[in-house]
Amino acid sequence: MNDRVRIIRFNIFDRLFHVFIMVTFLIQAVTGMGRLLYTTNWGKTIIGLFGGYEGATAVHNTVGILMIIGFVIHIAYVLTKVEWKEWRKSLFDPDSLVPRKADAIHLGQKIRWFFGLGPPPAFDRWTYWEKFDYWAVFWGLPLLGITGLMLMYPLAVSRIMPGWVLNILVLLHRAEALLAMLYIFIIHFTIGHLRRGMFPMNECMFAGSVELEKEHEEKPLWIARLQEEGRLEDVMVPGPPRWFRILYFTFGYTALAVGLYLLVNIIIYRHYIDWH
Amino acid sequence: MHLRRLLQKAVLQATLGLLGVLILGPWPALAQEEVTSSIRRYKDRELSTGYYEEYEVKPRRARPFVGVPEVQRRYTPIAPYQPRAAIEPDVRSRMEDSHAGIQFYELRRCEECHQKEARQSHTTRGNLTCRQCHGGEPIAGINYYYSPLNPIRRHAYVCAKCHEGANTSFATYLVHERTGEAPTRKTFPSLYYSGWFMYLLIVGTMAFFGLHTLIWVGKETYHYIQEKTKQKAEEEAPPEEPKNE
Repeated sequence: MNDRVRIIRFNIFDRLFHVFIMVTFLIQAVTGMGRLLYTTNWGKTIIGLFGGYEGATAVHNTVGILMIIGFVIHIAYVLTKVEWKEWRKSLFDPDSLVPRKADAIHLGQKIRWFFGLGPPPAFDRWTYWEKFDYWAVFWGLPLLGITGLMLMYPLAVSRIMPGWVLNILVLLHRAEALLAMLYIFIIHFTIGHLRRGMFPMNECMFAGSVELEKEHEEKPLWIARLQEEGRLEDVMVPGPPRWFRILYFTFGYTALAVGLYLLVNIIIYRHYIDWH
Repeated sequence: MHLRRLLQKAVLQATLGLLGVLILGPWPALAQEEVTSSIRRYKDRELSTGYYEEYEVKPRRARPFVGVPEVQRRYTPIAPYQPRAAIEPDVRSRMEDSHAGIQFYELRRCEECHQKEARQSHTTRGNLTCRQCHGGEPIAGINYYYSPLNPIRRHAYVCAKCHEGANTSFATYLVHERTGEAPTRKTFPSLYYSGWFMYLLIVGTMAFFGLHTLIWVGKETYHYIQEKTKQKAEEEAPPEEPKNE
């Protein structure tokens, strides 16, 4: 794998943010599901790992606050990426994750391709499902963060708004968390691991670079744009060292195992989930 | 430009610091001790005075799970008839003895009739009994003037026993309301509709992207296998003779 030409796709910040969200999300999922399914033996076992119900709650709250801080840092980072003098061009650049008109067209082309009615769409740097992944987290984190923070202090919240708002907050927190878990453990994992050519694992989020040959097929517009601007040579990087690959394969597969274990148990114990 | 590089450096350091705290920091786990419920520990006053008013000393274990109501109801109909309480809840909720006139009342347990209510997390997790909030026999309807659950004193007589500092606003939290069910539409419309909104969001997202991913991965794999078999056939077949042009 090292002898193929590789180009850079994610910088060190993107990769660190991804590792951070992986670790925190899985901790929140484990402590959250354990408490949600506290009435089952499985839930009791899981939160037993964290020192009981209150221990699991403490972990959940602490990691939740860390996630909020991480999100704020991420926003600060994103703001440094925008060229503010030409913000309109910078925001709707193909290198930006802001949705464009082309994304809707690509989705239409993809659906046409599903039914054999046309060629698959030619993507630029970010495909529409990658953008959806990003913005789904961007919407989910504040929702879960704000509802979670309010549920941490129910008495303070009831002083500024009626107490029945807490009913709705609990519902929103649980439903959004469940949606996030289902999406990550079913769809994100399938796309990241089971696609043709990616099979054991799509390494680009950990290695930071992708094989140029594969991207010619996947994202021809991006490569064409790089060639046109003459930047293709600049973004070429050597492949990840062997020890690093072993490290992130172990890490990635551990996360995958935790996620699938949770998913199976969510399905088994679905009747015991209380929505509020 | 210089400022930007400085900010990026700060972001990197902060992210690394967060990860470090996450990995190296101690778990905020709490000590295990004997408790009445498996969640709430004894209040300090009760520990220091040794006076356990409405709490009993129990070993640390949770109550047996009450069961999935629908399933129980279907196979073992423990309530063979609908008492009048089911027909006229408004009247019952204002009576001093809300169970007046119900046959064999003394022989029954609360959860035989109030199955859904007994499944609430105050019971299943907080280990509370029904009477700890609703009062002793005769159990008054929640709208009866002297009931502890009457909204004029609920926050002080019931909620604040555990949630210290509970006020009237806090006491408007509805304990037995159920999210997606028909009666909630009238009693608590905002909960009902936000429940349906989230339900449709989950089902919609999962249905769309589930199908999208399934067709996509399936089609890609199909093409891949086709290509492979084609390659294999070409390798095995004798090379075609060059055509004269």
